[in-house]
Amino acid sequence: MDFTPLTEAMASKSYDNVADICDNLMLQVAAEGTAFQHEWPYAIHLLGHIYVDDINSARFLWKSIPAEVKEGKPEVAAAWSIGQKLWTRNYAGVHEAVRGFNWSLETQGLVAAFSDKYTRKMFQLVLAAYSTISVQDAALFLGMGEEDVTKYTLQEGWLLDSASGMLTVKKQPILSEQKVDPSKLQWLTEYVFHLEH
Amino acid sequence: METVEAAVAQIQALSGSIEDVSHLNGLLKQSEDSLRLKSTVLSPYLDQLDPSTHSLGYLYFLEAFTSTPIIKERANEVVALTIRFINSCTAAQIHLAPDKFVSVCKRLKEQVMWLETPIRGVAALLTAIRKLQPCTEQLTSLHPDFVLLCVLSKSYKTGLHLLEDDIFEIDQPKDLFLYSYYGSMICIGLKRFQKALELLHNVFTAPMHNLNAIAVEAYKKYILVSLIHRGQFSAAFPKYTSSVTQRNLKNYTQLYLDLASNYSNGKISELETFVQSNKEKFDHDNNFGLVKQVVSSMSKRNIQRLTQTYLTLSLQDIANTVQLKSAKEAEMHVLQMIQDGEIYATINQKDGMVRFLEDHEQYKTCEMIEHIDSSIRRIMDLSRKLTAIDDSMSCDPLYLAKVGRERTRFEFDDIDTAKFCI
Repeated sequence: MDFTPLTEAMASKSYDNVADICDNLMLQVAAEGTAFQHEWPYAIHLLGHIYVDDINSARFLWKSIPAEVKEGKPEVAAAWSIGQKLWTRNYAGVHEAVRGFNWSLETQGLVAAFSDKYTRKMFQLVLAAYSTISVQDAALFLGMGEEDVTKYTLQEGWLLDSASGMLTVKKQPILSEQKVDPSKLQWLTEYVFHLEH
Repeated sequence: METVEAAVAQIQALSGSIEDVSHLNGLLKQSEDSLRLKSTVLSPYLDQLDPSTHSLGYLYFLEAFTSTPIIKERANEVVALTIRFINSCTAAQIHLAPDKFVSVCKRLKEQVMWLETPIRGVAALLTAIRKLQPCTEQLTSLHPDFVLLCVLSKSYKTGLHLLEDDIFEIDQPKDLFLYSYYGSMICIGLKRFQKALELLHNVFTAPMHNLNAIAVEAYKKYILVSLIHRGQFSAAFPKYTSSVTQRNLKNYTQLYLDLASNYSNGKISELETFVQSNKEKFDHDNNFGLVKQVVSSMSKRNIQRLTQTYLTLSLQDIANTVQLKSAKEAEMHVLQMIQDGEIYATINQKDGMVRFLEDHEQYKTCEMIEHIDSSIRRIMDLSRKLTAIDDSMSCDPLYLAKVGRERTRFEFDDIDTAKFCI
């Protein structure tokens, strides 16, 4: 089995492509008809789907893994437990699942990158969804200790009410591009032409 | 051609230019039956042919070889042979005998299913479809087989790539039924409910003389997905649905229509009771998973309904109104809906309140402009296509004959059009 495209993607940290590369390779290897399941890098494949937030594909992949591989390779089960926590929206559980396993050299980079991405996403979610939140819950969502989370959020401009243990969220104004370039004028001309005919 | 050797020699000689290959096609057609009779001895001769340069000849031999039942021990070998052929054959040559190509591919699908390794055929069938199609808008007879293998091997993402092609031309209408039905199962699995609804809609509104089982199953799923995705279901059929469907479909799907009316009452406990008492029937239809999703979508709908009445509401009140167990559970529900973009709100943990907000999209950003732009372009392309189809239909003699018979009197304009087109 030729895993070059996958090893290259992992080496260059282009983790977004890992899932697609694994899917295509799997179809090609399966076409050859040999039993590939025992040598297949399921942990990386699962983590690839999890990295791009495609939990549905991760679920279906998990369902298709034979039982012996699930039992014999703890890393595969550990990768799935992250997916499972994401599926059940156990926000704090995801961090626990990431930290609760000793990841191998091949998967460490991918797991660390996912963990960063996830923490940032959770921060954005808390920012959007809460006007006040307890320090405890913030710590759970962001996977940090209570002191760390207080320091981090105070840096972002949030306010702490130590008496009640509540953080007040500071909303960031959303900046978005509003400049329109001249090629749009060409499109508009085409639309009007089309509508008149 | 008397012997197989003679056939092989002819194939090797006549596979050069396109005229030679057409000539070869004619010769091979004549000896089709005799090849079939000798199917058991054909396999060593396949080694003398090259699947890419002698694609047409190879195809005839392979088709004859696989026309007799294959024993299990040889199935592996035959599958490998077929896959190798599909990957290396020349599209131009196989277009001369498309029916044979389709039979060979369909047999591949049966064999991988028989060997219980559906994933083995997925890549090959996709290659086969791309080689067979004159353009991506054509639905071939292989589309439903490919989508079925994707469903069985859980390669949903691969299946979705094919489903994203818009289809405008169909070889055989019956291909559409299975393709859309299996395709909708892939979309449901990947939670692309809008696309699933479109595909299911195509199945039961397709023209048909007799109600078929696929349309019945599609309608059942359509009701369920409609409840999950839109929170409501309208039992009115569009005008273009065939009359046989409009008259009979509801008789076979009464259970699901009852579920839909129960859902519209908004009481989650009643819905759960109804579902539990009919669990066996839903299981029998393999729809119980979807039904469970319908039940859990009800809490979401109820919360969304609250946003229309209240500006702020306490988490405990939400829990009570929507029949959830605790304020914490309500908080998690609201948080998940905010994450999915189904609701705009902020949670105030200090006071235990939720404040419902308006959608802050002002449709002024570059991203939104791109989005609207691309939608307008797609509609313009579609509109051009429709005009072209309308033009070609107005000239079609069958159509004009039918329209002519139904008119009791001719107007001046009609006579002119008729003269131009016939």
